[in-house]
Amino acid sequence: MLQKKIVTILILSFCFVTLGMIFSNHAVYATPDPTEQFRPFLKKVTDILADPELKTIPKNEQGRRLINVVKERFDFREMSKRVLGQQWRDLNEKEQGEFEDLFTRMLQYAYVGKIDEYAGQKVEFTQQRVKGERAEVQTLLVDRDKSVSVAYIMLLRGDQWMAYDVVVEGVSLIRNYMEQFKEILKKDGYAGLVRQVKEKIEQIEKEKKRN
Amino acid sequence: MNLKHLHSLSLRLIVSLALVVFFFFDFAWADDFLNDESYAEQTTTADVKDPLEPFNRAVFTFNDKAFTWVLEPVATGYSKVLPADIRGCVGNFFYNLGEPVRSVNCLLQGRFRESGLVVSRFFINTIGGVFGLADPASREFEIARVKASFGQTFSVWGIGDGFYVVLPLLGSSTLRDFSGDVVETLVTTSYYPWNDDIVTSATVFGIQDVNYISLHLGVYEDIKSMSFDPYVALRNAYFQSRNKMSDHVILSNPTLK
Repeated sequence: MLQKKIVTILILSFCFVTLGMIFSNHAVYATPDPTEQFRPFLKKVTDILADPELKTIPKNEQGRRLINVVKERFDFREMSKRVLGQQWRDLNEKEQGEFEDLFTRMLQYAYVGKIDEYAGQKVEFTQQRVKGERAEVQTLLVDRDKSVSVAYIMLLRGDQWMAYDVVVEGVSLIRNYMEQFKEILKKDGYAGLVRQVKEKIEQIEKEKKRN
Repeated sequence: MNLKHLHSLSLRLIVSLALVVFFFFDFAWADDFLNDESYAEQTTTADVKDPLEPFNRAVFTFNDKAFTWVLEPVATGYSKVLPADIRGCVGNFFYNLGEPVRSVNCLLQGRFRESGLVVSRFFINTIGGVFGLADPASREFEIARVKASFGQTFSVWGIGDGFYVVLPLLGSSTLRDFSGDVVETLVTTSYYPWNDDIVTSATVFGIQDVNYISLHLGVYEDIKSMSFDPYVALRNAYFQSRNKMSDHVILSNPTLK
């Protein structure tokens, strides 16, 4: 009889612990609000973009100024880690740092072209979801004739929400690059990937000089 | 311990295990950005194979040229002639014509509430929005657009994707979605006011396309200039945005457009 009770208790406690572990992922503790942290940051970025003085300084300087602000809320290390997937773990610390620099520079160059396109589009915050240490803040970039949905995927670092992915109309930037990088890694290996990222940066630089 | 007790114990164990399995698998399957699994391995292309890649790449190159040399210049010229507001109205008009089919697709997928929403959108926009030129259903009544296609219906009925294809001028699709598009075109043209001859229908489809491109100028160039392999980038973007569409229930946006 006693033996039966012990077995029952053991099984029940096993169930509780497992279920508890599963549900604890969902529980929202006293975490800071991601939208509240992100709102002033996006305001800062759009203020810089709207600043007429920005267009008077050289292109490279524009990009640097913008990326320095973006770094406040974007975790480029996390982005680099995710975009490489499995490969990241095979790199040593120095290589990881080098790749992070390279990937950050590529994104910086790719998006600096967007500066000229900014014409006072408004950002509306639509909704947010928090799941443990992850959060998604959904926004709408409202233009004159259309609006584009842009979501930011974030990770809680200490008490700061840091973005590591941008999802435009349902298309994740990181997952998109990840698939392209995967094919390059399969064909040309890591060295080939580094070479191609460098070439891409040069190519964008050249195009910019032509304009 | 008698046999009966053993039986009830094992039953309890099975139920609790089933619960655990259910929870884990439920999370693993959901295509959720807040889940690390969705980043760990590429889900999109693993699901749908691309056995025709060499052929698809050839069509892709053709489409790229057609877009850069013909469609885009035409759309740019068109955008210079007509202001953005009017082009928005043209887009609304064609979108509104597609609402009856969308409503039927919702019904076929068992999304009864949304089917009703689409019907009300159609009536509000046809009457209040002057034949659908404006979209008061989104703006004033806050009924968001509902996405529903025959491709989705087929998917709900359990028909698989087949494989990925790039179609001349039409772009990315899968065998199943393309079949859905063919059915959709046949159904919509049957009640279009200009279904008399093929030339008129083709012209109307052309206008629809040019109008759409004129509202999204520069998007394709951006994707191309920022990617390492535009073919892979667009294939991935196609599957990702399609996944988002099927998340309509979870992530539906209550705001306009």
